[in-house]
Parts: sequence; structure tokens; C-alpha cells
Amino acid sequence: MQTINPDSQRPMLRVENLTHRVSLETDTLTILKGVSLEINRGESVAIVGRSGSGKTTLLGLLAGLDTPTEGNVELDGAVISQLSEDERAQLRAHRVGFVFQSFQLLPALTALENVMLPLELAGMEAPEKRARELLERVGLGERLVHTPRQLSGGEQQRVAIARAFASDPAILFADEPTGNLDNRTGQEISDLLMALNQEQGTTLVMVTHDEQLAARCARQFHIEAGELTEPVNERELAD
Amino acid sequence: MAAAKKLMSVRRDWRERDVRVVLAALIIAVATVATIALFASQLQRTLVSSASSFLAADRQLEAENGRPVPEPWVTEALERGLETGRMVEFSTMVFGTDAFQLVSIKAVSNEYPLRGELEIQGDSEGSRVQVQNGPAPGEVWINPRLLRLLDIQIGDTLEVGSRNLTVSGLLLREPDGGFSLSALAPRVMMHVDDVASTGVIQEGSRVEYVYLFAGDDAALEGYYQWLQPQLGPSHEWEGVRDGETFSRSLDRAESFLLLGGSLAVLLAAVAVAVASRQYALSQRDTVALLKTLGLGSSGIGQLYLKRLALWGVTGMIGGLLVAVPLFWLLTRLLSEALDRPVEFLLDSSALTPALLTALVSLFAFAYPPIRRLRNVPAMRVLRSQPGETGREALPDMLIAIVAVFGLVWLYAGELSLVIALLGGLALLLGALGVLGWLLVATLRKVRGGGHAWRLALVGLYRHRRASLSQIAVFAMTLMLATTLILVRTSLLDDWQAQLPDDAPNHFLINIAPDAVDEVAGYWEERGQPLDQLYPMVRGRLTELNGQPVKEVVSKDQRVGALNRELNLTWMPSLPADNSIVEGSWFEEGQKDGVSVEAELAGKLGLVLGDELTFTIGSDKVTETVTSIRTVQWDSMKPNFYMAFPPEGGLTNMPATWITSFHLPRDRKSELNEFSRRFPTVSLLEIDNVIERIQEIVRQVTQAIEAILVLILAAALVVMAAVVSATLQDRQREGALLRTLGGRQSLLVRSTMLEFALLGAFAGILGVAAAEAAVWALQFRMFEGAFSWHWQVVLPIPIISAVVLSLFGRWQLRPVLSVSPMLLLRRLE
Repeated sequence: MQTINPDSQRPMLRVENLTHRVSLETDTLTILKGVSLEINRGESVAIVGRSGSGKTTLLGLLAGLDTPTEGNVELDGAVISQLSEDERAQLRAHRVGFVFQSFQLLPALTALENVMLPLELAGMEAPEKRARELLERVGLGERLVHTPRQLSGGEQQRVAIARAFASDPAILFADEPTGNLDNRTGQEISDLLMALNQEQGTTLVMVTHDEQLAARCARQFHIEAGELTEPVNERELAD
Repeated sequence: MAAAKKLMSVRRDWRERDVRVVLAALIIAVATVATIALFASQLQRTLVSSASSFLAADRQLEAENGRPVPEPWVTEALERGLETGRMVEFSTMVFGTDAFQLVSIKAVSNEYPLRGELEIQGDSEGSRVQVQNGPAPGEVWINPRLLRLLDIQIGDTLEVGSRNLTVSGLLLREPDGGFSLSALAPRVMMHVDDVASTGVIQEGSRVEYVYLFAGDDAALEGYYQWLQPQLGPSHEWEGVRDGETFSRSLDRAESFLLLGGSLAVLLAAVAVAVASRQYALSQRDTVALLKTLGLGSSGIGQLYLKRLALWGVTGMIGGLLVAVPLFWLLTRLLSEALDRPVEFLLDSSALTPALLTALVSLFAFAYPPIRRLRNVPAMRVLRSQPGETGREALPDMLIAIVAVFGLVWLYAGELSLVIALLGGLALLLGALGVLGWLLVATLRKVRGGGHAWRLALVGLYRHRRASLSQIAVFAMTLMLATTLILVRTSLLDDWQAQLPDDAPNHFLINIAPDAVDEVAGYWEERGQPLDQLYPMVRGRLTELNGQPVKEVVSKDQRVGALNRELNLTWMPSLPADNSIVEGSWFEEGQKDGVSVEAELAGKLGLVLGDELTFTIGSDKVTETVTSIRTVQWDSMKPNFYMAFPPEGGLTNMPATWITSFHLPRDRKSELNEFSRRFPTVSLLEIDNVIERIQEIVRQVTQAIEAILVLILAAALVVMAAVVSATLQDRQREGALLRTLGGRQSLLVRSTMLEFALLGAFAGILGVAAAEAAVWALQFRMFEGAFSWHWQVVLPIPIISAVVLSLFGRWQLRPVLSVSPMLLLRRLE
């Protein structure tokens, strides 16, 4: 992990000329074309765009879930394309949290165990204590031993948020976190996400097509047909 | 690591259908192999001891020189912990009220018989009882025919030499009364301590002293090693393995047991492979998430390797827990069939192959798809990734094929078996390729509509990959099960054909040359014609190409035929059940040459052109080997190691004639009249021997049936594994069809039709492949002629179609009983 350099002056995420292609049976499809961006520590950023614009692919590449065809991603000082798969997994275990549209909880584990899992994988001490605290923080202190099947969609996403913050990540990636929820629940979930993000001082990168949710982030990137249009400063827009 | 531990706990795994199938298949594989291995070793022990009872001991030492063996020989055996017993056999005249008769006396010690039992009757109306001792001193048991021949009753006295002995029972069966053709005249059994007082045995009398030994194999072998250097030419050491008939039945039974076991293992392995692939597919999301949360691929590998190990241990323990009671049950069955106690002995060495099976099935079949889980991209959490194409599974299949045939080879020890199965499977896969192509080519044109059969055909096409793999698995299951049924059927037929109802059950021996026509005419008149009559000359094989045979053939080869006098014959033509394997049969008018039985020729290393010298009385006869022929030892007809041409080397040698014939049980009393008319002809009743052989066939049949049950269980697991592979897809489709307004009856009919078609295809393919495999097996292993088995084969595709269509109906239950909305939500 020598490539990680938690130098607070450097940006949390730096992307240079990112291009991603997938080969199909007949030809090659370019999903991302020369994307470059920088995200600072503690910043909250939304990536918005229509379905199929490439925003989920971009999120996957930023989080090191996949490697780009061309270009570089530097996450918290580590150049992702230079890391082996296991090193990338290590990086995720210690520095990265995720929230997904479809929650992605393990159905066999209880709420508490789902939150404990990343703590155990990162080798942290007292995982159960920390998991309890987080679940209480997201309002599920009474539902620790329930399995995902016994929880509503909003409750499942709360568990997922608790899990995302469990290992005290430096950066949090969220993929349409309210996409599967009704308006009101979605509102509650985004409130919770924003609040926790503030409390923990985490960098937040969120993919969404929910304009309202995107508007709560400090900056927005628009993506269209795999290309980034100019970053828009949300505050400027608000003025 | 509470959460991570829980992820791999077997108890939680058990809730997953695919894991249940893998575990059940493993348990079945281990249970089958363990049961079969345990039972095969038990059967072997039992059959050997059954066969031992033909000697009334494990080993016999015969002294044909009319003198007892030195006393230290017996003392040594006792010191080595062997049981011993003693018999004296001779022929003499006995006197009844006012008649006399030549009888064959067997005088036995208290220990007789060491193995097996006698069957006696207290009086002619009394019930038959089995005993494990001979008559007490002062008493005799006699062959029932002697009652008439001597005109005596039970309780009367019988004069043997200068002693009067009381007839206290009728001797119906003696364990060692079967095979020796030297047994002369009706039997009288007495106590050995009475022999001296009869005064019958004088210096120079023709007497055979026989010593019986029983004990464990090592002690017997040790004793033989000690004894062997001291044995003279007139001493003959005999063990059960020399009895060709029995070792043959034993080998076949074992081959078949192992074949059945191998098939069960193949089926279970298929189930393990299908279910673990399914399990691996269902784990992809979990793996992607674990990777996202920071678990590396080596960590993933370890997680699932540990789980496999846990499955392995569970499978082994579970399998053994099933095997032990099953084996206990089989020993009960065997004990019932044999009507005597059979020891329940867990032979730990028989368990090794079972554990090996679990390991191989797990690592050759379950591990490869699970190992590939490491390659699941983490990106899958965000977006579904292209699934496996099937191509990456090709190397796994190769490994699996090699592993499974290695296993079969290990168990059955028969390369031909492996090749037959491999050939059958290759044929099956080839046919499947063609079928797949046809399916795609023809079904593409069918369009869906409101008709059930159209929906069914479209369904087959739409799921063509799943359909083909289901057909493959079902066809394989059916092929293996059909092979077993066919082999079982033909094996039993084979045995029954060898011992038809009218198989000869009596031998006539010692027929003087001038009485031959008269004897044949006697039975001809009574509607029981004799089989071919053969002359018989007793002689010893003493030289091979001019060298003394005992020097040329090493003692290790222990050829029983060299230790005793052989029955030599001449034959005008080759008996129907013999066949020439080398050289040619005597030509018309040929006077030289000798034809040798193939196995003896093999043991002695004889080839065509070798010179054999026989000592017959004081004469020597030398002839050249002109042909080698196989003999049907279990035909119950006179069989000969050495056959000469008529007017060949045996001309002018003192010969008596021998033949066999069939006499129904209810006509046995006619034998008395025959004996009175031809007092010098010896009669050998071998119906008891035949009964024993049939008993063994029955035992083996029962074992085979037990194994068929195991195979069936394995087949069911395979079916469950395969069906579970498409269960969710089909349920979702059914729910959608109902949501879109499809009537329940349409859904039911089309699904049942689709499965019936699957079943019929699989049935036809499986049966064809089975016929191919059986053809090859029959050819190589069981040496029988091949014939089609329409009566067995035709119903199988039909049954498979019906069963599968019912299975399809059953699978639809949740779709029909729940509202479509609830179902769609549940399946999300």
C-alpha cells in the first residue's frame, strides 16, 4: 500500500483522460471518452446524466471496481491502474464506502451482521460495538437482528448507509441511493446520507438522475454520451 | 469474524437448495461406495466360507497313500491356533438283515465339519434337521437308498466288518459331498474311533486319510509354508479357490457389484457438478459485494475452499452414517438367504475408496465452478455482467471426465468397463450435438400461439441451452440406470441359462465298458436319456517335453491338477459347450495328439506342439498338444482337462465310463431299483450342489437389487439438481404468462408437454447409449452374446416422458397457487 499518500493538500480523486471501451461481438463501444476531473477532500459531488450516458461506468472506474481502457484514476494518492486486484480490494476495505440503488445487503445476514462484515474484512477492532452505534445512529437500534427480508426498502437502505460508513471511509460512492424508494422515504434517506457525510467529513461522489438530490451536492458533473460537460457549481446556480 | 463465519456455516448453507443437492449427492456417493465396498468384502468372506463348506473346512490335506500323516503335522497346526478335524474314507461291504451292499464309508472325528453343516433325518417320515457334527461312536448315518437296498429300518444294526453299529439317522446332505468323482457307492457315515474295531482296514487297503483345517488366512498360509516342504507326492493340499465354479460366480458377482457402485458414483458426480455450478452462479452477487467491501480474490478463494472442505467432511460423515445401517440391513438379508448367521464386520479398509470418492467428486466436480467465483468482477454490484459462456467450463469437463473414469477404473478394476462407459457417453454427446442442431433448425420456425403444443415447442426453443443440458443430464442418468438394469437382467438370465431346470443332477460313474449300452438303454426306456457317455482313464501328468513336470512348473503355481490323478478321456467330437481357442480338433481317423483345457494350459504355460507324458498305472503315454479348448465347468456335465482322439493314446488302457443325466426330485426312489440292477455303477447325486449354486445366485440378486435402490436415489438427486437449475426462470415465466392473461389450463398443458418432450428425447438417447455400452460390456466382461432388449428398453422413454411431465406439473405448483403479483415480487 506504499502508493497511498494521505496528503491532505492533494485532491481526493484525480482523473485524467479516462476512456473506457467494451468490445461487443461485432464492434467496440466507447462508453467514456477522455473524462478528466478532480474532487477535493470533504467535497460532495453529483454525477448526473440520462440513462446510458456512462455515469455508472464512471462511478465503477472511480471506485476502482473496474480498470479503464485508457487514462488514470488516482484515488487518495493511489494510482488505481497500477494496483493489483487484491491491492484494490485492500484500498476499498480501508478507504472506500458504497451505497447502492438496490441496497446489496446479504440476505442471509442480520442487519447487525451486514454492518459488521466490512469491519471484519478490514480487520478492525470491536466490530459489533461500532456496528451497533451506527445502526442506532441511522435509527435502526431496535432492528439489529432482522434480516433484509424483514425490513422495508427504506430500512434496508439505512442499513446499507450504516455499512457504508462503518469502516470510516475517506470517500463514499453512492449509486442512485434513492432510486428504488418513494419520494418521502427517498428524502429521508438523502437527509441521512448528507448528515452522516457532514458528520464524518467524508468525500461524497454520487450518481443520480434525481435533480433535487444532485442539487444538495456542492458540485455537479453532467455526463452525456460518455463525455463530461463543464462542471457546474451548484452554489452559483442557486444564486 | 462472526458475520464472515456465518457466511460459511454449513447450517445456513443447508437452507440453500443447491447446497442441499450437493450435500445429498456427496452423501449418496459416499454411502454407495462404502456400502458396496463393505458388502463386497462381506460377500466375498461369506461366499468363500460357503465354498469352504464344500471342503467342510478352509483347507484339506489328503493322503492318498493309505497311511495317516505323521502326528507332528497335526500338532503343529493346533499350535498355530488352527482348528483341525480328521476323516477316513474307504469302500467296503456292509451287511443288513439279509442283504449286503458295497458302500462308501466316511468316518469322521468329533470336530467334523469345521465349516458347513450336515442335513439329516431321524427317521424316514421325520423332519430334516441341520447339524454340525457326525454320528456318535457306535452309530451310523446312512444314505436313504440303503434302507431299501439292505432292507433295514432306523434303529436296526448294520454290520461293518466285525462291528455292529446302530443306524441312528438318514444322511441327506454332507457339506463336502459334492464334487469328488472318486466317491463310490452309497454313503455310510460313522465315527472315526470305531474304524479300528471294524478290522476293515488292513495293510494295503485303499484308504484315504483326510485332515481338515480351519482358521484365519494368515495362520493357514503360515502353516502351509511350514508343511509344504514335507509333503510327498501322494499328499494333496486343497483350498477353496481351486473350485472353479465358485470362484467364477464370485468374480462375476463382484464385478457386477462394483459396476453398480461405479454407476451410482457417476450419477452422484453429475449431481454434484450440476448443483455446484448452480450454486456458484447464485453466489456471484455475494462475491461481487464482498469484493466491493474489500475482500481480495484470494480471500474469496479461501472462503469457498473452506466451505468445500466443510461440505466434504459433512458428506463423508453423513455418507458413513447412511452406509453403516444399510450394510447392516444387507448382512441381515444375506443371513436370511443363507439361513445362517453372517457376521456384521466393519472392514475399515473398505472405507478408503468411499472417502476418496468424496474428495474426488468435490475437487473434480464442485471445485472448478466455485473456483471461478474468484474471477467475478466487482463491477457486478453496479451492473449485471455478461455471464459465463460455457466455454470456460471446458477444461473443467475434461478434468471431470478423467477423474470419474479414474474412479470407475479404480473400483471396477476393468479397463473394458471404463471404455464401454466412455464409448456410450461419447455416443450420447454426439447424438446430443445432432439433436441440438435439429432443435434449433426446426423449432425456430414455430411461432407461439394459444395452443399448448406450440407453447411447448417454443418453450423448448427458448430454453434451448437449458433444454439441451437437461436432456444431456437426464439421458446420462437413464443411460446409466438402463445399463445397470440390462446387465442385471442378462447376468441373471445368463446364470439361469447355465443351470436350466433340466440341468444334469446325477452322475453315473464306474460304468464297465460292457455295461454301457445296457445302462443307456435302461434310462432311455424310462424317458430320461443320458447325456453323452465318456470313457474315463485315471492318470497323472508326469512329464512336460521330457522333463519331470514338478521340476518344470514352480511350486508357487500350485496347479491342483498336477497333485492328483486326472480323469483322461477320449472323445469322437468336441462337446457343444467346449470351444477350441488354439489349434484344431482331431480329424476323422486321427490317432495322435491331445487337447488341453485352456486355463490349465495357461497355468502350465503349454503351447501347441508341447509333449505331455502321462503315467497310467505302470504305463506311460506321450502325446503332442494339438489343440487348446475352453470348458464350461459349471455345466454340471462331465468335463475333462485332457481329451484324446478315439483309438489314440488311451486305447487299451483300463477305462470305465461316466455320464450325467437329469432325474426330477420326485423320481429319486427309482435310483434304488437302478442300483440293485447295476450294483457296480456308482451314483453321484449332485442336486444338492446345484441348490447351493442357485442359493448363491439368489444372494447376489438381492445385493444387486439393493444397489439398484441406491442408484435410483442418486438419479433422483440428479433430477432435483437439474430442475433446480431452471426453476426460478420457469416460475417467473409462468407468473408473467398468468399476468398477461394466460389461462391456468394452458400453462399446465404446455409445461407438461414441454417436459414430456424433454423426457422422451432423453429417454431415447439414454436407452440407445445404454444399449451401446451393454453391447460393449457383454462382449468384454461377461462373455455373453449380445441381443437387443426391446422389452426393457421400449418403456423407458415413455416412463421418462410421463415422469418428467408430472415433475413439470409439480414444479408449477407455486405459480398456480399464488397470485401472479405476489409471485413476481417474490422472484424479484
